[in-house]
Amino acid sequence: MSQYTETSRGFLSRIKFSRELVLLGVLIVIVIAMSLLSPVFLTLGNLLNTSRYFVEIGLISLGMTLIIITAGIDLSVGSNMALVSVVVGFSFLGGVPLPLAIVLGVVAGLAAGVFNGLFVTMLDLHPLVVTLGTFAMFRGLAYGFSDADAVSSFPAWFAYFGQAYFGPIPGQLIVFVIAVAVVWLILSRTRFGRYVYAIGHNEEAARFSGVPVERVKLAIYAGTGLLVGLASVIYISRVSTARGDAGLGLELDVIAAVVLGGASIYGGKGTIAGTVLGVLIIATLRNGLLLAGVPSTWQLFLLGVLLLVAVFLNEFFRKEEG
Amino acid sequence: MASADNGMNGDGSTSVERVGIFALSGATKRFGGVVAVDGVDFDLLEGEVHALVGENGAGKSTLMKMVGGVHAPDEGSVEVGGEAVSFASPGEAEGAGIAMIPQELDLFPELTIAENLFVGRKRPRTRWGGMDWKTMKEEARRSLGSMGVSLDVGATVKQLSTANRQIVAIARALLGDAKAVIMDEPTASLTEREAEKLFEVIADLTASGVGVVYISHRLEEVFRISDRITVMRDGRHIKTAPTSDLDSDELVRLMVGRELKELFSRSRHETGDIALETRGLTREGEFEDVDLTVRRGEVVGLAGLIGAGRTELAQTLFGLHKADAGEIRIDGEAVKSLSPQKAMEKGIFYVPEERKSQGLISPFPISANITLSILDRICRMGFVKRGRERETAERFAASLSIRGAGMDDPVSRLSGGNQQKVVLAKSLAREPSVLLLDEPTRGVDVGAKSEIYRLIDDLAGEGKAVLLISSELEEILSMSDRIVVMREGKVSGEFERSEADQEKIMAAATGTKAGQTAEVREERT
Repeated sequence: MSQYTETSRGFLSRIKFSRELVLLGVLIVIVIAMSLLSPVFLTLGNLLNTSRYFVEIGLISLGMTLIIITAGIDLSVGSNMALVSVVVGFSFLGGVPLPLAIVLGVVAGLAAGVFNGLFVTMLDLHPLVVTLGTFAMFRGLAYGFSDADAVSSFPAWFAYFGQAYFGPIPGQLIVFVIAVAVVWLILSRTRFGRYVYAIGHNEEAARFSGVPVERVKLAIYAGTGLLVGLASVIYISRVSTARGDAGLGLELDVIAAVVLGGASIYGGKGTIAGTVLGVLIIATLRNGLLLAGVPSTWQLFLLGVLLLVAVFLNEFFRKEEG
Repeated sequence: MASADNGMNGDGSTSVERVGIFALSGATKRFGGVVAVDGVDFDLLEGEVHALVGENGAGKSTLMKMVGGVHAPDEGSVEVGGEAVSFASPGEAEGAGIAMIPQELDLFPELTIAENLFVGRKRPRTRWGGMDWKTMKEEARRSLGSMGVSLDVGATVKQLSTANRQIVAIARALLGDAKAVIMDEPTASLTEREAEKLFEVIADLTASGVGVVYISHRLEEVFRISDRITVMRDGRHIKTAPTSDLDSDELVRLMVGRELKELFSRSRHETGDIALETRGLTREGEFEDVDLTVRRGEVVGLAGLIGAGRTELAQTLFGLHKADAGEIRIDGEAVKSLSPQKAMEKGIFYVPEERKSQGLISPFPISANITLSILDRICRMGFVKRGRERETAERFAASLSIRGAGMDDPVSRLSGGNQQKVVLAKSLAREPSVLLLDEPTRGVDVGAKSEIYRLIDDLAGEGKAVLLISSELEEILSMSDRIVVMREGKVSGEFERSEADQEKIMAAATGTKAGQTAEVREERT
């Protein structure tokens, strides 16, 4: 009974269980395939190293899971990351102390999320269109401010956020694990989480039951913006560069991970456990393909294939359950 | 071969010479482990109205869906015109002359009447290969005309009243040369006057030899228009008999499987202070200048035709819409900018008329539906206390005797009547002082109905103020202490229980003087 929607019905929860088993199976198959392709792949060092690359996608996927459960979408997360990067980099370049610049960047991410949320709730516009608009706007702002320039003159301590290790464990992995636990608790145990599922299944009935639909949605988009802010800081620190093309195409990885994890774009369904598995599969695939020397253009192609397979799987499971 | 001698107690003496249209024999349908229909025989003859009655979940709709091509029977056979058939789709059934008109009409609101009639059909073409709108409109007009109705076939369906939509759905069936028309709760959302119009259409249909299967909870209608009645209970065939051989009490007993003493229950209560009051409440285009008071311990019936603005008024009182002018007072205190959350805090709760789309989160368990509006009370630091949740849900489920599934089963597993009780349980869990009930017994079987009436009476006894919106006059008259009638957004009449009768209410609802309503009916048709 950990997740709200598909709980309860005996056979249903078994199907959900098997769905996550399927994902786990897929993950194992990919790991085996990759280790055959590249001898370096299946080493603890590489696996932990991989985690440095998926934490950014992972953090944003947590917020995206909640958005997709409410039958929404946020296409602007990649552009938002660019916006945050440019705010951090260029305010620092302009003389703002770096700690303050970081705070400004996270606030910018949050503000971008609030902006999305306000358009979706107050004006009652479809999130697909709103965030397609802000997808272009945020990226445009980032390019405009940075003038297509990059900032990489950060002091050495900044690398801490994206490059620190605690023993063999990368620092951001710890951040991710904490974030997963927090969002999982919120979604599965709290009133807020219950409202999220209620809105996703039937927004009108939720409103008629006194669920503060607008406030919940606003909080979800804002929260996702905040997670983008956090992920961006880790990203800038990891690559030691802030520039306007940060997070290019990021929304594809994020949405693919969430949908692969079983969230339904029709709303109502999705779990944090599923999303985490989705993130792991995509990250492993990307890392493995990289090690195997597959060019990034073909990685993009394969990711597209994966997204379609994920959507098909969801349809398949939906019919099984229905 | 279809025969009138059907079931345990068949009597076909009045219809021996009639020809059978279709017959189901030994039809069985299972869903998972549940047997929805268990070896039922049913047949329909030319030119008859065969009523199919039973409580929610008795298997009536499922039985008819086996004739209509929606479900294939797991056992038993379907015969049409004496030949065994198995339809793969509703389209095939329609091709064989069997048309189903579902409770929720499958019309396209944005398309015109003529377009709706030709959806999914071979449409006439002009010489140039374009659509032959002229012929289509003519055929549409003829089809409606054959039912004695004239509507503008170029009007979009969304502009039509519910009754006229119903008629368009029937016209669509007739255009396909239907020999049998299956109607599932056709009058559920019609007012009495609109229902009259439908009955005349049905009479015309049967006169021309079409057979009608009439599924309804409204027994007086069943007695009025049917030739034979088949009763189902728990998926089984209980009895088929000519209507003249049955009376209302026996029919209810057959449906419920036990004696039902009194449908309505209403005891006198002392009324207290004014709990809810509106002054000049107005919402542009929906209602205007409404003055309304409901006292503690009082049931105020809100009568009127569909579209009179009653639902909009109630939803505004619950904060779902904003009023443009006027005042809402709760316990004498004026409230501004109401939202559902604020209305709930003030002790108001609205039970919506659309159970599926507004009342329930269907995939959620029963317990989560009951507690959805009181999560703030059973949470600590935002975390749901599962023990409290379960205990609360069980208490309210028990007090409303919700039956048919466990607390953790999705609410969609329950029959309509029990789903409605879940919606009521959700509102009662909030312990409101003012309850706005919008058609609380629509589509609910007799047993659940009488339980809901008893509940309303109890609530008034506890000193709650109840506003009861209903399109069933008998319900309004039996349950209300006072009756307010609305017409075209305005209050058009107010009656004490003692002075109210059907005539007066219909007169106020339609804007005619009492005594003229019957004539108006004539003119309209």
